Amino acid sequence: MNHAIISCLHANLPAAEAVLNDIDRQGIDTITCLGDLVGYGPQPNEVVELIRKRGIATCQGCWDEDIIDGLNACECSYPSQLAERRGHLAHQWTDDQLTDENKSFLASLPTSLRRDRLLFVHGSPNSQHEYLLPDMDAFAALERVETAGADILFCGHTHQPYVRELRDGSIRVRLQNADHGNDQGEELTLPMRKIVNAGSVGEPRHGSTNATYVIHNDATDEVEIKEVAYDVGRTCQAIVEAGLPKVFAWRLSHGFEFAEQAEDASHVCER
Amino acid sequence: MIERWALVSGLRGDLETYDLIQRDLKKTRGVTALFVLGDLVGPERNCDALLDRLRNPHRGDLKPDCIYGWWEEQLLAERGFRGERKADALRLSQGEDAVSALLNTVNPSHLKWLASLQFGFIELDCALIHGSSSDVADNLTSETSPLILLDRLTRLNVNRLFTARSTKQFHLELTGGGINSQVKDLNGKREQQQEVPKRSVIGIGAGLNYTLYDIGSDKMHFLTAGSKTNPKGKGFA
Repeated sequence: MNHAIISCLHANLPAAEAVLNDIDRQGIDTITCLGDLVGYGPQPNEVVELIRKRGIATCQGCWDEDIIDGLNACECSYPSQLAERRGHLAHQWTDDQLTDENKSFLASLPTSLRRDRLLFVHGSPNSQHEYLLPDMDAFAALERVETAGADILFCGHTHQPYVRELRDGSIRVRLQNADHGNDQGEELTLPMRKIVNAGSVGEPRHGSTNATYVIHNDATDEVEIKEVAYDVGRTCQAIVEAGLPKVFAWRLSHGFEFAEQAEDASHVCER
Repeated sequence: MIERWALVSGLRGDLETYDLIQRDLKKTRGVTALFVLGDLVGPERNCDALLDRLRNPHRGDLKPDCIYGWWEEQLLAERGFRGERKADALRLSQGEDAVSALLNTVNPSHLKWLASLQFGFIELDCALIHGSSSDVADNLTSETSPLILLDRLTRLNVNRLFTARSTKQFHLELTGGGINSQVKDLNGKREQQQEVPKRSVIGIGAGLNYTLYDIGSDKMHFLTAGSKTNPKGKGFA
């Protein structure tokens, strides 16, 4: 059976509606959302209410968490201090706009969802703020999936959709301990695991303005990355009219992150 | 010239043990640094005398470089040095009496110094940490999955991770292996191969059991303070 996974809607109602329409057209009725319903975009209440109305199973993203708990992420979650300042502006604006009812909904979201061997998180099983980038260390990537007890890990947060299959892994070890001296070496065969990143509905950064999501077939484990065009101009105009930083509209109309790359994208915020 | 580090942990207020280790080190060639990887304090005995000695070494003592461990974390949390967190892990595992006992073993005059201790040291290509790069409570042993050990090494990009939390002495070397991965995105597919880097995790022991590390030869020596001889099979050359 096919099911759809969406992530990082970021208060972009036209994008969210377009993606949900695309999913509906394919007759898929199981949808999982990996969080970040709000932040950056101009329609936080509308997007949260759309997800609530549709009854879509959702886990909490870093933006959803920060709106509820206050900004508890340090600047390491942003690519730069400049980006952090822009993020703080958007945070304040979103905080002012969201209704108490919608904030309560965001507060009620779990940090992960599990269906059998499938695990759904926003960033990683460790944190909503950890980026699992497509080229990160393969052993570290496998560790995230394996330690969480999943076969397939669905995540978002990077705004770049990808499917990464980790296979044919092994680690050889040799042990020396105080009691037994040198032991024989051993080889551990690593299991095959998969990471599926759903990209972003509301703020794509994969080089195109199209919204992205993924469809997974739980019988064949095949994954399809889907792109959906929507009225980007409408959202950009709403961003400017709301008084949000204009660069949010700029990057939405270009489809990639403005400026800076994180120095250590695998860093997990401890604050 | 041989250059060695001495790695100690789990003293838990035991000045007598620390004194035995210092005596051992005075008789050992080439020890240039003494790292105390946490658990300086514990609930069993008053820890003030040991803390005084660590902070104000005797003449002839090898000066210790200390980091905090699990017991310091519990103490500092309960004393309000960790924000809203309390000694929840200790309370959960050993009960309220253990928390009270811990509070009574350390004079508050030591708290500020304990709170100033770092999480770990990076020296050369080695990480010296009580637990691991993941958490001070991370209990790495020789039975821990090599995948997890490799992850803890990768997080700090070091070749050796010296850990103390398990109290065990072991040297587990990652000697080989690899993994393939395929990434598919909207631009197509690409294959990647990655080899296991030659890295190690070393459990340094606790209390009387400590470790010497020869920097030049990359050899570990698992020792017990006060032993009359260094027995064969414990790696001491």
